[in-house]
Amino acid sequence: MSYGSISKEAHETMAIAMNRLGGFSNTGEGGEDPLRFKKDANGDVRRSRIKQVAQGRFGVNIEYLVNSDQMQIKMAQGAKPGEGGQLPGHKVTQEIAKTRGTTAGVQLISPPPHHDIYSIEDLAQLIHDLKNANPQADVSVKLVSEIGVGTVAAGVSKGKSDHVLISGYDGGTGASPQTSIKHAGLPMELGLAETQQVLVMNDLRGRIRVQADGQLKTGRDVVITAMLGADEFGFSTIVLVTLGCVMLRKCHLDACSVGIATQDPQLRANFAGKPEYVVSFFTFLAEEIRELMAELGFRKFEDMVGRVDMLEAKDVISHWKLKGIDLANILHRVDVPKEVPIHHCLKQEHGLEKALDNELIVKCRDAVENKTPVRFSSAVRNVNRTVGTMLSSTIARRYGMAGLPEGTIHIDFTGSGGQSFGAFLSRGVTFELEGDANDYVGKGLSGGRIIVYPSKKASLVAEDNILIGNVVLYGAIAGEAYFRGIAGERFCVRNSGGHAVVEGVGDHGCEYMTGGRVAVLGGTGRNFAAGMSGGIAYVLDADGTFASRCNMGMVDLFPVLDASDVAELRGMIERHQKHTQSVVAGNILEHWDITLPRFVKVYPRDFRKAVEKAQQAAVPAGKG
Amino acid sequence: MGEVKGFLKYKREEYTKEPVSGRLKHWKEFIRLPDEKGLKEQGGRCMDCGVPFCQWGCPIGNIIPSWNDLVNKGQWKEAMERLHKTNNFPEFTGRVCPAPCENSCTLAINNPAVTIKNIELAIIERAYQEGWVKAEPPKTRTGMKVAIVGGGPAGLACADQLNKKGHKVTVYEKNEAVGGLLTLGIPNFKLEKEVVARRVQRMEQEGVVLRAGVNVGVDVDPNELRKQHDAVVLCGGAELPRDIAVPGRELKGVYYAMQYLAQKTRLVMGTKVDASGLIDVKGKKVVVLGGGDTGSDCVGTSNRLGAASVQQFELLAKPPAARAGDNPWPYWAFILRTSTSHEEGCERNYNILTKKFSGDGHGNLKKLHGVRLDWSTRDVNGRSVMKEVPGSEFEIDCDLVFLALGFLGPVKGGLLEKIGVELDGRGNVKADANKMTSVPGVFTAGDMTRGQSLVVWAIQEGRAAAEGVHAYLVSKMAKTQAG
Repeated sequence: MSYGSISKEAHETMAIAMNRLGGFSNTGEGGEDPLRFKKDANGDVRRSRIKQVAQGRFGVNIEYLVNSDQMQIKMAQGAKPGEGGQLPGHKVTQEIAKTRGTTAGVQLISPPPHHDIYSIEDLAQLIHDLKNANPQADVSVKLVSEIGVGTVAAGVSKGKSDHVLISGYDGGTGASPQTSIKHAGLPMELGLAETQQVLVMNDLRGRIRVQADGQLKTGRDVVITAMLGADEFGFSTIVLVTLGCVMLRKCHLDACSVGIATQDPQLRANFAGKPEYVVSFFTFLAEEIRELMAELGFRKFEDMVGRVDMLEAKDVISHWKLKGIDLANILHRVDVPKEVPIHHCLKQEHGLEKALDNELIVKCRDAVENKTPVRFSSAVRNVNRTVGTMLSSTIARRYGMAGLPEGTIHIDFTGSGGQSFGAFLSRGVTFELEGDANDYVGKGLSGGRIIVYPSKKASLVAEDNILIGNVVLYGAIAGEAYFRGIAGERFCVRNSGGHAVVEGVGDHGCEYMTGGRVAVLGGTGRNFAAGMSGGIAYVLDADGTFASRCNMGMVDLFPVLDASDVAELRGMIERHQKHTQSVVAGNILEHWDITLPRFVKVYPRDFRKAVEKAQQAAVPAGKG
Repeated sequence: MGEVKGFLKYKREEYTKEPVSGRLKHWKEFIRLPDEKGLKEQGGRCMDCGVPFCQWGCPIGNIIPSWNDLVNKGQWKEAMERLHKTNNFPEFTGRVCPAPCENSCTLAINNPAVTIKNIELAIIERAYQEGWVKAEPPKTRTGMKVAIVGGGPAGLACADQLNKKGHKVTVYEKNEAVGGLLTLGIPNFKLEKEVVARRVQRMEQEGVVLRAGVNVGVDVDPNELRKQHDAVVLCGGAELPRDIAVPGRELKGVYYAMQYLAQKTRLVMGTKVDASGLIDVKGKKVVVLGGGDTGSDCVGTSNRLGAASVQQFELLAKPPAARAGDNPWPYWAFILRTSTSHEEGCERNYNILTKKFSGDGHGNLKKLHGVRLDWSTRDVNGRSVMKEVPGSEFEIDCDLVFLALGFLGPVKGGLLEKIGVELDGRGNVKADANKMTSVPGVFTAGDMTRGQSLVVWAIQEGRAAAEGVHAYLVSKMAKTQAG
């Protein structure tokens, strides 16, 4: 339940309650207002301890990650596996748009997949990225109950996630369309039982915490779920009910009369929930659990986890409709030696001590602490994954998204950048790489600057060759990037504020982009700008065929005529030329009058409407 | 759902009332519902909740959001059909139900509730106007015979349901007209007697036999009735009034409310009344004891008859204006409710215990002696304790006192003993889950088993008993066929 699907009041009340209790609340996928990271005057904390990292990457920047105790990678939603989050346009208010880095009034559909996860290795990489972004917090992976989820969970455990969530089908928001939730997903019990069994069989259980959710409401639910193998439990519907939800099931209409699932200020004023209600609810729930444990003879909660042998099927099974049901597989207890743990008791080895960043942080200490400018060189190899993220983490912890003053840290790398080079890079940090880089360069870019150009010794023609891998600048929030060469596929997907110049891109460039600027000084692949709802892309359409490769579903193409656009584009190309000594950029600038008309402005329709509306509002009356 | 956010667009609009001065001159109904556009808007305020608490609040489970929506769309006939699925007599509940549904309306959490009761009334009145309420006799008859004792709302609902299933139903009513309290209890200005007659006529056309003026247990031996029928349903109501045992109770001028209300309604209906028992109210000082609906009816009736003054005394404290902390939504709201009769002129007093009546020396009531109460202390169980306020004794002049103190259950010493049914701890007729009494084949419904309650509960009871009777008759038929 993101801020967006539910009101600010409801979201913050839940957070306050869970923080009072020492539990966890979840941001959902809508980002979080940085004002919530600070304590309130009365000592309450509105910060959600779990920060979700969903497919849309809304508001997932370094400050957001640093202010978490757990970072949850949402692979799917239990109620509608295979689909992303959906927020109708009328619920995207100015405030929501701000925290999400999007445009108000424009419907938000999260992509179904994470564009940086196409295999379990990719997931392991994202886990590693997040761990670097906040070494003190745990990484969690949210999976849904499906046949085979046990195998995925085993991969998640091997991929060094600290935590895995198995989500059942009967949870989920009332905001999801009927067509998305009908006949989708499976009961939490099936997925949890499978997960527990696979993890225990492969001795992967002890090092990962298992959480389950999906309409848990009573102490009895919790005890049964624990016995099936969960260490932790998620609740949402019942919490909303304690806050006044009366199951109107109007979440998708913005018409919630009790001020929960709405952004309408008039209805939000009706919200009557208080943190105390949630605190009382969980206190009673804990009491019921304690009573049940006493009845069962368990002294500690962890003794109960995984004790599926304590469960038996009830007589209700004799109902004729249930005759064919055989619970044996769910109630199966894996036969393992005593020393193989069946609940969480160990820690994952994340290998952060091997990171190049440890070295960089030492060299940048003075710069981070006293803002003293520093510039030095460093070799980089492709075994150095996620370079710059831990450094950014130390900066964000002190300065938030504001980062350091422009040009404080400048590192000249040579070699081959590994995966996630410059991920979540903070403002004030410049990474200049002579060489090339792997996938995910500048993922979640948080204000830093990344410059990559080929080795000066290389004889190849820069603009004709691939310089950087796939999924570059995915979910970039702010900052700049200059790439003298061609990028792989899915360049700038879900960019919401980064400015990038590149000399060619593969398929699916600028997909789902909601903000920022991209200049492509060369060819593009297919499906450019699919689902793009904000920001602008300038594409050099040398042979006039770009329109055939652009997905026109949400964008229109224009020539670059407006003086401010021309200035913006020229500025970007000038900086590109300055930082990378690009030959292409030099030629364009030299023949500006001839090349400018060949540029196409890719302008999302809804974004254009919002911009024009804002311009009209800004024009003083009478001036026309 | 009628209209998304309709409740933000339209305010709750109830009905208009004829001014007090005008309506006190007659015995007719005096409310006017909003016009069609207004009613559609009111229907559009309904949110069609995922969990419709109104339906939970309604004893008969009326499918309220569904017909609200149909009214909003102007589909009145469909609305009537949907309404009749759960409610045999919407024209009664639409007038006199206190509308627990509106107390449970989710909008009522922080907004005025949807005007459910008015919409119900509008649907059924429109249906009568258009001629949609037609007699639809059952296509086949089962050959089973059922006797229903008592023609109040429970008995009539039960009769209607059983008749629709094809059983031959005879309703025995001790008064000269069926309807029970609908006819003789509720004043004409709240429920015009033509409204009852209109429905009853429809039921007769459908084949229900009504035998008014037959008092089972007096005129007819109930065991004889059992022999002649395959099942008997006792729906005799809870007519035993609560009395007040204080000195002077015997004085002329102290009457049970029902005695008074029935007499006045008979006069309105043009029925002959024994002249010696006439209660003359004109120019008299009236005190009504009891702050409930019956008391309120006495107030309205007295004002129409030209009483010099009308006061209402209630034992309990004045209810709060809004829900108290221990009385949350969606439960019935214990709040101060002002009826149209109260508006017509009445002084309402609370925390009063009547200690004594005194007379003029000729056996006529002259004064009421009372004392003020304090309910603020609570016992160990948290229940308010009644305490008289020392020195607060008072007396007031009055000519007439009407006792509207509630009812203690069914009248004993006749029918019930003869038929031999067991009673429960509260003196009501005991029934099982199928509404069958301790005597096989004898069922019961309404106030007779439930204790005094609402019309809507009587309908629910009648319907439930009909289900029980039908199941009983079906198994009886199966046995007969097998034998």
